[in-house]
Amino acid sequence: MPLADALSFLPGLATAPADPAADAASLARLAEWCGRYSPWTAPDSVDGIKIEITGCAHLWGGEAALAADLARRLTRQKIAHRIAIAGTLGAAWALARLAAVNGSPAIVATGEERMALAPLPVEALRLDPVTVHDLRRIGLKTVGELCPMPRDALARRFGEGVARRLDQAFGDMPEPLSPLGEAPLRRVRLSFAEPIADPADLARAIERLVADLVPRLAREGIGARRLDLGFHRVDGRVEHIRLGTARPSRDPRHLTALFVAKLDTIDPGLGVEDMILAVFEVDPLPPEQLDCVGDSPEAAAHDMASLLDRLGNRFGLDALSHIEARESHIPEKASICARLGEKRSSKSPVIPGRGRKPASPEPMNTGLWKMDSGLAAARRSEMTIKQAANKALKPPRPVRLFQPPEPVEASWLVPDNPPIQFTWRRRWHRVARADGPERIAEEWWTEDIAMTADAIRDYYRVEDAEGRRFWLFRAGLAASDPPPRWFVHGVFA
Amino acid sequence: MSFSNLMRHGFPGGMSPPASLAALRDRIRQIEAPARHGMLPFGLAAIDRALPGSGLALGAVHEILGQGGDEEDGAAAAGFIAGILARLGAGPVLWCLPRPDLHGPGLLAHGLDPARLVLVCAKRDDELLWAMEEGLRTPGLAAVVGEIGRLPMVAGRRLQLAAERSGVTAFVLRRWRNGAEALAERERPSAALTRWRVAALSSRDINMPGIGLPRWRVELLRCRGGAPAAWEVEVADATGHVSLSAGLADRSAAPAGRKTGWVEAESLRRAG
Repeated sequence: MPLADALSFLPGLATAPADPAADAASLARLAEWCGRYSPWTAPDSVDGIKIEITGCAHLWGGEAALAADLARRLTRQKIAHRIAIAGTLGAAWALARLAAVNGSPAIVATGEERMALAPLPVEALRLDPVTVHDLRRIGLKTVGELCPMPRDALARRFGEGVARRLDQAFGDMPEPLSPLGEAPLRRVRLSFAEPIADPADLARAIERLVADLVPRLAREGIGARRLDLGFHRVDGRVEHIRLGTARPSRDPRHLTALFVAKLDTIDPGLGVEDMILAVFEVDPLPPEQLDCVGDSPEAAAHDMASLLDRLGNRFGLDALSHIEARESHIPEKASICARLGEKRSSKSPVIPGRGRKPASPEPMNTGLWKMDSGLAAARRSEMTIKQAANKALKPPRPVRLFQPPEPVEASWLVPDNPPIQFTWRRRWHRVARADGPERIAEEWWTEDIAMTADAIRDYYRVEDAEGRRFWLFRAGLAASDPPPRWFVHGVFA
Repeated sequence: MSFSNLMRHGFPGGMSPPASLAALRDRIRQIEAPARHGMLPFGLAAIDRALPGSGLALGAVHEILGQGGDEEDGAAAAGFIAGILARLGAGPVLWCLPRPDLHGPGLLAHGLDPARLVLVCAKRDDELLWAMEEGLRTPGLAAVVGEIGRLPMVAGRRLQLAAERSGVTAFVLRRWRNGAEALAERERPSAALTRWRVAALSSRDINMPGIGLPRWRVELLRCRGGAPAAWEVEVADATGHVSLSAGLADRSAAPAGRKTGWVEAESLRRAG
């Protein structure tokens, strides 16, 4: 019925534009909240939520008690609902939509689906409207009437769908339920008689949850690598603290501290009624004495891992890095900040006809960096500077390297010479002395090369009148057209 | 023996008053000494003499400033710290900084093996300070370095306390984002034990075209229990040592050579 007609029938009708995206989001949120009953929950099309409660109902005192608890909480949230519990997903779907009424859940014991579904209309089988229409036209109006029909005739006329739905509803064919998220490996839950919101109370609850979890991990000889702590609020929202650890851990103090440190990201709203701590990733962790205090290397490594956990969980693991040497001429590739704990890649694709060549610069032993301090040695042993220069194998490199290089306005007298002055960050520098050039070109033997004029860089080490030393480079050839551009790539100490 | 014990039992061993006074002073110095975690000498008599305990106190906070445009980049300060870290054991170093612009080969030239560094990137100063404090609570670390713009007195004090407790040395590299921040923070007192300023100095001529031997002007601006001083040194070499400028760098040379160097440094010494 068009809206205009509806309004003419009932002038006071309240209307609101449909917002399917927001509906779906709030349904997903509600499904997540239902995680308090079972770890396996998922939204079902646009108006339902499926919960796999196998093995969970006894925690609530039976299926009826569980349904009653769910109904009470939904009513409190002012959500109209119909609840059904059945041995198969298809039967529960049908009963919830066509048999249950608001306030009294329909509960069918396993094996009685056939009887329960028989009086229901054929829509109960999750069929598409066209099939439903066709079935009704030939007089099959209820599931009970459809059941005795020969299967092959049904399949010939209406396709496989009808028979499959029948089998699924009666449990003759399994129907896997994919949960909302990943299913946790270990899970502990804590419910409160009264909702709590005080950070101190939440911290104490975290302590208890962790204390519940740790003995289970210890018994199995595993440590948690990735955890999720869900705060189920009274208004049906769920807030999460997710964290990962650098080494498998089951140290209650450490895990509690990690969660408590992130507690300020949680908005408890009007209160939290359930907290669920789930472990998604574990690694073997042999029994050990974790609390030993001493100077042993194990204790130091443990300290270090716990520090990295705290830092990583506060800033994200991307914020932690270490400097890695790579075999490359290009300065920004010779020393890179690699994520901590990342596996060093060792795959190097084979280029036909050229044997194995590294596509990206390979990490190497920092020993190669141990540059010859020829100049320093020369100063001590009265060597001539020329000898020292010959001995110094590697040209000097700056302490700070800007990525990307920062453009400067430079002016020069002779195209091949270093600039006589440059302006960088709106500050003018007069070049007093300069060394160079050192030409660094694209690595032509790698695959990802862009052979442009800019690929050739001439580096100069210049010192300004104040004594600051910069690493400038000219991108492109000196006498090229358009004129080459200048950049500051780094600053020397 | 504690001070109260001393008062109760009198001076031990019937020492003569001047000797016992000296012993008492010694004891008080030990109690008061911020550096019960040891000292790291620079290996350069001129600098070590200006520091109480003849070296940089470990398990304490040291503040290092840049000068001019380098206040934003902190390149000379980073090189100076790298030189100190090179001589400070072989343990891991936590370096907290707003963006990862340290270059490994450059640090290595000042003696610091970049493989020892663990970098933590965070945008805000309070986050960096938090990371530093966490690091200072980890005794396995050799040192913690933080590139901090705004350092409130309380935050500095917290770092100092954490460093004293664990024995991990902290270096606060002051790195200001703009002129206004530099102006507001430059003269502000802090809880650090020492405050240094390291500025790049025109390189020393070696009768060759181009850049000669790079130098720093190292100033000790503030030092608890010591007087301010300034030196012109050649930048930290691949062993992390700085050496006095003007060709007197040969550390194995006779004491006479050192003496000349000291005199020169003395002439640069600023009035306290």
